[in-house]
Amino acid sequence: MGIFDRTTKGHITPAIEVTLERGALAFFAQTIGETNPIYFDPAAAQAAGHSDIMAPATYAVVLGTLADQQAQRQGQPDLLTLINGDLTVLLHGSEAYEYHGAIFANDTVTVQTEILDFNDAKGGKLEIAHVATRITHPTRGLLVSATRAIIHQLG
Amino acid sequence: MTITPQTAKVGDIIEPLEFGPISRKTLALYAGASGDHNPIHIDLDFARNAGFDDVFAHGMLSMAQLGRLVTNWAGQENIRALSTRFTAITPVGAVVKCSGTVTETLSQNGETLLRLKLAAHIDTDTQTLKGEALVATGE
Repeated sequence: MGIFDRTTKGHITPAIEVTLERGALAFFAQTIGETNPIYFDPAAAQAAGHSDIMAPATYAVVLGTLADQQAQRQGQPDLLTLINGDLTVLLHGSEAYEYHGAIFANDTVTVQTEILDFNDAKGGKLEIAHVATRITHPTRGLLVSATRAIIHQLG
Repeated sequence: MTITPQTAKVGDIIEPLEFGPISRKTLALYAGASGDHNPIHIDLDFARNAGFDDVFAHGMLSMAQLGRLVTNWAGQENIRALSTRFTAITPVGAVVKCSGTVTETLSQNGETLLRLKLAAHIDTDTQTLKGEALVATGE
């Protein structure tokens, strides 16, 4: 028997607006060991022709988390609550990004997640939730689409 | 000679990258910086109650290293896709060694792209991430 609430398949979370804060973005870049100053120094980013410091390649996951936190503040469930994720048996199975445009500090983007599907693997020892998140900008359109597999280790 | 996306051929290996050793402090900072507060990565009591001997690193901290590996080489503006599977847990103290190999040249949406096979290892026998990236050559 699985733990995920599979009746949520097909659910699309409300669109949440997230503004990328420069300090938070620089903190993330430095935490992951980023050495290229376009990710944490506004002057270097502008010298390279960018509007502001740039979000690193995996920052999309953070935008999903920030949107989740924003949803909770608005009285809505976050993704894990929605699908009934259990942190004591939860593992991250996979993560994939398609990039359509760069994201910069001070951008306000819209984050929306769809619960795609659930399946079982390894004879029921694993159950897997598949979700997709789209990050869009009001004028620049779709910037990043992300898909993720979240695993419950049951056996 | 340094390999660039313009000169790379199938089979070429890009400049590798190492991150770590990953300390508990790194995990605490990553939890704060990423907003991923899952206690399995930062709270030893929670990890032990969940049946683990210790906390372990966020998979996304290692994927961030694959991101750096590719963007250091090709530039963020040229990365079209990045994906990974998480194949093993990364313990505290591990050094994450990231590598990438050019496996294919292809055309997509009018661009020439290189497909890279990516890997993260914490020792010779333990591969923690099995990934892939697409980068544009600008041609």
